[in-house]
Amino acid sequence: MSERHVTTRRGFIAALGFSAVSLYGAWAAYGAAPLPFGGHKGAAASEPDAHDGHGGGHGGHGAAEAPAEPAGHAGHGAAAGMTPEEFRSAHDAFVERFTQKDGSADPHAAVEAHAHGGHGHAGAGHDHASMGAAMVAAAEPVDVYLMAQKFAYSPDVLRLKAGQPYRFRMMADDITHGASIQLGSASRIIRLRPNVVTEQTITFTKPGAYLVYCTVYCGPAHDAMQGRIVVG
Amino acid sequence: MDCISTPVATADTRPRLTARLAALPRGDASLFRLLFGAALLALALGLAGGFVTALARARALNLFGDDAYRVLTLHGVSVFFYWLYLIQAALLLVLAAAENGRGLALRPLAWLGAALMLAGFAASEWISAIGTPLLYDGSPELAVDDPRSVGVFALGYLLLSAGLAAAAVSGIATLLQPRRRGEAEAFSAIGFALFAWAGFLIVSAIAATNAFLPGLLWALGAGPFPADHGTEWHILFHNLHYLPLMATVLVWYVLTQHLTGVTSIHGARLSKIVFAAYLVFVPPTSLYHMFLEPNLSESVRVVGSLLSLFVSVPTLAAFAIIVSSLEASARARGATGLFGWMKGLPWRNPAMANMGWAVVNMLVGITFAFVLIQEKLAPMLSDTFFVPGYFHFFAVGVLTQTFLAALMVILPALGGGALWRPDLLRRMPALVTLGLLIFGTAGIAAGVMGVPRRVFDVGYGGMAPAAWPVLMALVGVGATLFAVALSVSVYGVVRTLLSRRAPATAESRRVDWTDGQRGVGAVPAWTGPLSVAVLIATMYVATIVAFEIIQSLPIVAIGGGHGH
Ligand code: HEM
Ligand SMILES: [Cu+2]
Repeated sequence: MSERHVTTRRGFIAALGFSAVSLYGAWAAYGAAPLPFGGHKGAAASEPDAHDGHGGGHGGHGAAEAPAEPAGHAGHGAAAGMTPEEFRSAHDAFVERFTQKDGSADPHAAVEAHAHGGHGHAGAGHDHASMGAAMVAAAEPVDVYLMAQKFAYSPDVLRLKAGQPYRFRMMADDITHGASIQLGSASRIIRLRPNVVTEQTITFTKPGAYLVYCTVYCGPAHDAMQGRIVVG
Repeated sequence: MDCISTPVATADTRPRLTARLAALPRGDASLFRLLFGAALLALALGLAGGFVTALARARALNLFGDDAYRVLTLHGVSVFFYWLYLIQAALLLVLAAAENGRGLALRPLAWLGAALMLAGFAASEWISAIGTPLLYDGSPELAVDDPRSVGVFALGYLLLSAGLAAAAVSGIATLLQPRRRGEAEAFSAIGFALFAWAGFLIVSAIAATNAFLPGLLWALGAGPFPADHGTEWHILFHNLHYLPLMATVLVWYVLTQHLTGVTSIHGARLSKIVFAAYLVFVPPTSLYHMFLEPNLSESVRVVGSLLSLFVSVPTLAAFAIIVSSLEASARARGATGLFGWMKGLPWRNPAMANMGWAVVNMLVGITFAFVLIQEKLAPMLSDTFFVPGYFHFFAVGVLTQTFLAALMVILPALGGGALWRPDLLRRMPALVTLGLLIFGTAGIAAGVMGVPRRVFDVGYGGMAPAAWPVLMALVGVGATLFAVALSVSVYGVVRTLLSRRAPATAESRRVDWTDGQRGVGAVPAWTGPLSVAVLIATMYVATIVAFEIIQSLPIVAIGGGHGH
C-alpha cells in the first residue's frame, strides 16, 4: 500500500467518487444553495468572481428581487390558501370583469373604470407603477387568474404592464397541464396540477408579446394549447 | 478476501467468463437466448419508434395528434421498459449462472419470470399500438373515458414487474447456492453486485406494482380512479433509471476483467461498498424530478437539490476504480504516455469499443444531468427538450451500448456462431457518439430556448422563435446518424444470436494484463483524476451559463414552482 502512488490509493479513488459534489460551489456563488456551515464556506469563497460578476452585472435585478420577497410571502405554491372552488369563482369573476372587446383580459383597463370595485387590495396606486425594475418592490401586486384546461388557457390573452408585479393564481381545471412563458432566449415553466392552486408573483421587466404554451402532454391537441401575455 | 496489500493485481483463478458460459446447461442457455432475443426485439421496435419520433420532431415527417403520440408511446414503452428490463433480467440470470458455475437455481421460477415478462411485452405493445396514447408513464388521467387502455397498459407493466421479480429471485438463489453448499465463503465483488442489483430489481418491481395496480383495478371497476398516479410514478421512475446504470457499471467490471484480465487493484471490498452505495445514494436523490410540483415547499426543493449532488457518487467511484486499475496494470507492464497506455486496450474488439465510448457518453451525460438537479434552474429546463436531449447520452450512449457490448461477448459463448463482422461493428460506437453529440447539443440548446418535449408542431401559429425549427432539424440529423449506426450494431448482435455456425475457435481479441512486472500502482495513474477534473470544469461552465441565462430573462418571479 505504502509503495502506491497517491493516484492509485483507495482513499483517493473514493474521494474522486465524491468530486461532483463540488458543484455546490457554483450554486452557492449564485445564491442557489445555503451557506450556513463553516465546512462549505471554502467552496463558495473559491468562486468570488462568479459571485461578483453576478452582483455587478445584475445589480438592478438583484436589488429588485430582494425587497420583493416579502411581497411574495403568500407565494407558496399550493399553500396559497385558496380552494379549487374559490379559484373557479374568482377566475370566472376575473374573466367577466376584465375581458375586453378583442377577447383579451386587461386587469388595468377595468380597474380604472371601476376603481376599488371588488378587488380592493389590487386597486391602490398600481396604475402609476413605474416601468423601472427598482419600483417592483414598491408596487402592490395585482391579481391575475389563469386557468388551464384541454386545450386552452383562460383567459388566453392577458394585457399587462412592465414593471408591475402580478400575483398569478393558476390552476388546471381537468388534468395536468403546464404553462411555459417564452421569453426570447429561454422560457419559464410552471406545472399546473388539477385542482391545485399555484401562486407566483411575476413581474415582466420588458414590454413585448410573450407566447405561453402547455408543457405537459394532455391529449391530441396538446400542440395547439397556447396563449399570450402582451406586456405594454 | 481483500488484496489491498498485494503488490500485483490478483488474478481470478476461475476459467474465463466465456468458458464458464459455454459450460452452462443447455436448458439454461435456451432460456437466456430467448430472453436476449426478446430484449433485442424490444430494442429494434423502440429504435424504429425513436427514429420516426425524431423525424417527426424535425418536421421531416408530418405526424400529428394521436398518431405521433402513439409512436412516442411505442418508443418509450419498448426501449425504456422492455429493452432495458428484459436485458437486465437476462444479464442478471446469465451472469449469476456463470458466477455459480452450475447454472440456474430455481430454474422453473426463471422460466415463469420469462413467460410473465413476455406476456407483459405483448400486452404493452398491443395496447400502445391500438389504444389511447398514454406515453410510457401510462398516466390514467389521459384516458378517463377509456378504461381498457388504462387497464391493459397497467397489466403489461404489472406482468413485467412480476416476471422481473421472479427472475430476480431465481438469480438470488443461484448466487447463494455455492455458499449454501459450502463451496464458497464470500461473494466475489461481481457476485455481491449481482446480489444487490437483484434486490434492487425486486424493490422496483414492488414500486411498479404500487404505481400500476390501482389503474388496473379501476379499469376492472374494482377501485377508485388512481388520482395519485403522478406521485407513485415518480418514486418508481427514479429507481428505473438508476437500475440500468448500476447494471451498466457491473457489466463494465465483468467485461474489463474478461477483456484484459484486470480485476480491481483496490480490493473486492471497495467495489462491494461502491455497489452497495447505489442503494444508499439513489433513493434519497429522487426529489429532483419533482422540482416543478406546486405542492413541494421551497425548503424541500433546496434540500432535494443538495442531496442530488450525491447521485453520481457510486458511478464516478466505479469509473475511478476501473480506470485506475487498468492504467496501473498497463503501466506495471511497461506502458507509457499520459494517455498512451490506453492504446494497449483491445480496441479492435467491438465489445471494448462499445464500452469505451459508453464511458465517454457517461461523462458527457453527467455534465448536463447536474445542470438539471439544481432546483433554481428547473423552471427553465424541466419539461423541455433539454431532458431528452441529455438523457439519450445515457439511454443510448451508455446503457444501450454497454448492454450490446455484453451481448457481443456472451452470445458467441452461449453457442451461437462467431460475432458478426467485428471489423464493422467496432466502428459503430464512434458514429453513435457523434450522432448523439449532434442530437444532444442541438436538443439541449433547443430545450434551453424553450422547445418543449413531447410536442410535434412547435410553430405555435408563428409565435415561436425562428431558431426552434432549425435546432430541431439538427436534432433530426443527429438522430438519423446514431439511429443508423446503432441499428448496424443491433443487426450484428441479432445475426450473432441467430447464427448456427460452430463457435469460432479463435476468440475475439483481448489483452492479458493479469499481473505486472513491476509493482502495480507504484507510478502515477492520472487518467481517472484528469477526466474527473475536466468533468467538474465542464459542469461548472454549464451551470454558470444556465444561471446567467435564467437571470437575464425579462421576468422576476417569486413563489410557486420555484423561488428566489
Ligand atoms: C434510434 C435511436 C433513438 C432515437 C432516434 C430516439 C429519439 C427520441 C426522441 C426524438 C425523443 C423525444 C420525443 C419528445 O420528447 O418529443 C425520444 C424520447 C425518449 N427516448 Fe429515445 N431515441 C432513440 C433511442 C432510445 C433508447 C435506446 C432509449 C432507452 C434505452 C430511449 C429512451 C427514450 C425515452 C425514455 C424517451 C422519452 C419518451 C417520452 O417522453 O414519452 N431512446 N427519443
Ligand atoms: Cu395542456
